[in-house]
Amino acid sequence: MTLNVGWKDLALISPMLVLFFTSLIPITIKVLRGQREQQPLATLIQALSGLVVALGLLIVMGVIAPGTSAFNNSLLFDSITLWMGGIALLGASAAIILMYENPSTQGEQFSELVFLTLSSCLGMMILVSAVDLLTVFIGLEMMSLSLYLMIGMSHEQKLSKEAAFKYFILGSFASAIFLFGMAYIFGTTGTTNILNFIQQASTLVQTNTLFLFGITFVIIGFCFKVSIAPFHAWTPDVYQGAPTPHSAYMATAIKTVSFAAFLRLIATKSLVGSENLFDVLQWLAVITMLVGNVAAILQNNLKRMLAYSSIAHSGYILVGLITAGVSEDGVFGASSVIFYLLSYSLMTMGAFAIVSIMEKNENSSIMVDDLAGFAKNRPVLALCFSAFMLSLAGLPPFLGFFSKFYLFNAAIGEGLIWLAIWGVINSVISVYYYLRPLVVMYMREGDAEIAPRSLTATTVTLVVSAIFVLVLGVVSGPFLSAVEKSFL
Amino acid sequence: MILSTIVFLPLLFALAITLWPNERSLRSLALGFSVIEFLISLTLLQKFDPSTASLQMVEKTMWIPRFGIQYFLGIDGISLWLVLLTTFLTPIIILGSWNSIDKKIKGFHACMFILQTAMLGTFLALDAVLFYVFWELSLIPMYFIVGIWGGARRIYATVKFFIYTMAGSVLMLVAIIYMMYLTQEATGQMSASLLDFYQLKIPFIGKQFFSLQTLLFFAFSLAFAIKVPVFPVHTWLPDAHVEAPTPGSVILAGVMLKMGTYCYLRWVIPLFPEAAEYWAWLFLTLGVIGIIYGAIVAMVQPDIKKLVAYSSVSHMGYILLGLFVFNQYGITGGIYQMLNHGISTGALFLLIGMIYERTHSREISKYGGLASALPIFTIFFFIITLSSIAVPLTNGFVGEFLILMGTYQAAPIYSYFAITGVVLGAAYMLWMFKRVFFGEKGELVKDEHHPLHDLSWREITVLVPMVIMVFWMGLFPNGFLNYSKASIDHLVKNKNSYNLVIFENEKKSEVAFRGDK
Repeated sequence: MTLNVGWKDLALISPMLVLFFTSLIPITIKVLRGQREQQPLATLIQALSGLVVALGLLIVMGVIAPGTSAFNNSLLFDSITLWMGGIALLGASAAIILMYENPSTQGEQFSELVFLTLSSCLGMMILVSAVDLLTVFIGLEMMSLSLYLMIGMSHEQKLSKEAAFKYFILGSFASAIFLFGMAYIFGTTGTTNILNFIQQASTLVQTNTLFLFGITFVIIGFCFKVSIAPFHAWTPDVYQGAPTPHSAYMATAIKTVSFAAFLRLIATKSLVGSENLFDVLQWLAVITMLVGNVAAILQNNLKRMLAYSSIAHSGYILVGLITAGVSEDGVFGASSVIFYLLSYSLMTMGAFAIVSIMEKNENSSIMVDDLAGFAKNRPVLALCFSAFMLSLAGLPPFLGFFSKFYLFNAAIGEGLIWLAIWGVINSVISVYYYLRPLVVMYMREGDAEIAPRSLTATTVTLVVSAIFVLVLGVVSGPFLSAVEKSFL
Repeated sequence: MILSTIVFLPLLFALAITLWPNERSLRSLALGFSVIEFLISLTLLQKFDPSTASLQMVEKTMWIPRFGIQYFLGIDGISLWLVLLTTFLTPIIILGSWNSIDKKIKGFHACMFILQTAMLGTFLALDAVLFYVFWELSLIPMYFIVGIWGGARRIYATVKFFIYTMAGSVLMLVAIIYMMYLTQEATGQMSASLLDFYQLKIPFIGKQFFSLQTLLFFAFSLAFAIKVPVFPVHTWLPDAHVEAPTPGSVILAGVMLKMGTYCYLRWVIPLFPEAAEYWAWLFLTLGVIGIIYGAIVAMVQPDIKKLVAYSSVSHMGYILLGLFVFNQYGITGGIYQMLNHGISTGALFLLIGMIYERTHSREISKYGGLASALPIFTIFFFIITLSSIAVPLTNGFVGEFLILMGTYQAAPIYSYFAITGVVLGAAYMLWMFKRVFFGEKGELVKDEHHPLHDLSWREITVLVPMVIMVFWMGLFPNGFLNYSKASIDHLVKNKNSYNLVIFENEKKSEVAFRGDK
């Protein structure tokens, strides 16, 4: 096998190169200054400009050369790369802004943190464009390894260390299972490239048990990353223990790119032939929605509640993934998943930003009851938070309703009515816990304490997401059509 | 543009209220806004052509072309009066809330106007998805109104209200999406327009629950039955009513319950005629059970507000009865009773709110002899009581009479039972009236440290329009019914192949005008 790496390939991966070089800037400066931090604001600006340039290049590449592959077909730059990569970069930018002001991540060691974040962004960019399972693995590991460290680096002393370790151990298991499955696939098809076995996948799952094993293991690896029940157990602990910006980062950017890679695999139509795998995935989606929503009802810790809510949303997204997997072209299903991930990222990022604003020091953990009086002290923020919660619950006219509408629309179009019914029933269950913060904020007396510092950047991020949550839903039609068109 | 103006003006008002800097002038401002809205909505009467059953003043633009979802508003004889009822009640409610809402005034009025937009949108939307958006939107402000300004158990009541109603409507969403795919199958073009839904021929197999039309019928019916509320799913209503602040109760009883019954007429019966006919016995039975059960439970309530809440269950049972006999009298009576119930029960809740502001109690046993202490209040209460028990000359009589006549014509057995509700209704209302207003003075009434003051001018201003409507609607029902007649005729005659066309009069006159030139 000869490797032909040309200028074209380098141009295509220019977003990744930009991310890589930007990630080096803050720590290099720190070394040159004799181990003294530069102004965190400068670090923030460097990181954000890197992300923005990467996003710009991603869009340019997506427009100029849609559907081209690079590095001997191991990276593919198509609409999934473009949209999901875009969502992930936006999520990462918002998370970095949160990190800049959150008490458990700001100040000391900020340049190292930014380095790790951007490295994990680099991993994410590899993951969204990877079509070779081996490349997927590299992206996944690069993303996760940086993340383990990021969580462990928190100024908080106890929970974050536990979270990092737990995430590391369980993540390694998942990676091992993933690799194991990949070996089976390589053994049966002689290739690890999705593009190469895509044609035979649906026959192979029926005829070749080893291939079925392989693909199941790979799917389990992904299920762990996107916290599909019963592989979700790490999520609440890690989200709760990690610094809030990191939880936001995991819930939005990391989840988006993991779903992107998952989507690529499932859209190989491996589900079309295999009744059993198809059934199992459907049940996983149902169980995930139920587990996430029912467990979230019982939570008092706001971050833990959001973690379970994020599990539940993984279940909804899996419905979309299954839809994309069983349909003829999968375009509508995939577009609805992309739109769902965008809206989910906006809402979740906003909700975590509220938590971040409420944290007074690195050790504070925010309970739902702490929100009492929040509406009185911070009416605008409370209004934004209500919008996020109602949107997560899927109530019109917020964005969350429209994304659910498209997702279930796709599912019903493919005849998966019973999954859609499970989805809407779960939306009703979820209303109960999404309303709880609203009850506490507006209907109970109290005096919510907010961080005394002014958190301008976080507030701006929050308000911008709130505006999108309010407006994007109503004007979502053209947006969804644009996503769909980009696939054709 | 008139319909869009009516629907979205309140939203603009809500925004203006939120940005208004001066707390003190806020109430007058809100009142002014709501009166403006009412006056604008009155122009509908002038523009409305009662001779046709087609949709008028239609506004139609593509909203989400991918799914054929339109921004589609229109009005006909069925929705006209409900729109006016909404705009009529809002200023009254705002004026009536001046004492009962004493905190977070800004938030309250903003919620009120958002709610108004949602309710008007529900009545006017003719696109399934647009309708669903408005339908669900109405939950959010109501949730806040009950939860923030309500009584002691307000949080339980409001969460129950929210989850109950939402649980009903999500299955409707699945049904709507499914029907959108059915239109795609039928016409090749996906559409969420109600008019395209009407064209669908959905297969119906009797005696079989799991057939398409029956399932869709129940998915829609459940959502509306919870809102109405029909007997076994009514339990959210007494809680929500008792805990809601006075304005919340008025808007809930006055308009929001009507959203349910209206949607039976607009959606369920014309969309699923065979299923509706086949399952009519179920709804008639539930309606009758609701009438009798609501009345009996109301009779034993120690709390006036709860009594009125259960009386709502009873009255809504009549409306359901009227709708599901599918004849001229029944449906006319049903629509008329929707308006009556809005006026009389709304006024009852206002009156109860007024006495509650004075004594801070709604226990019937603590009252007695109120008639000598508060003569003006007593007069108003008596008139509204008469309207509620449907005494001739009041509005209630017309509606109930028409419904019972329609029921007798179509299914006499139900009317025998329903008629007992009339007697029971008189019994619980008059008994309550006797206990509160006559007899020995109760502990709250004779308390000399806190003498009770009779109604203020503001309160009289609130009640007078309601009383006028009671008699106006009771004496001259034709003035109201003429507007709905064409639409009801059309529905009754073409129930099994229902279709609505868009009224083209304006365009024709335009063409004629150009021709003259």
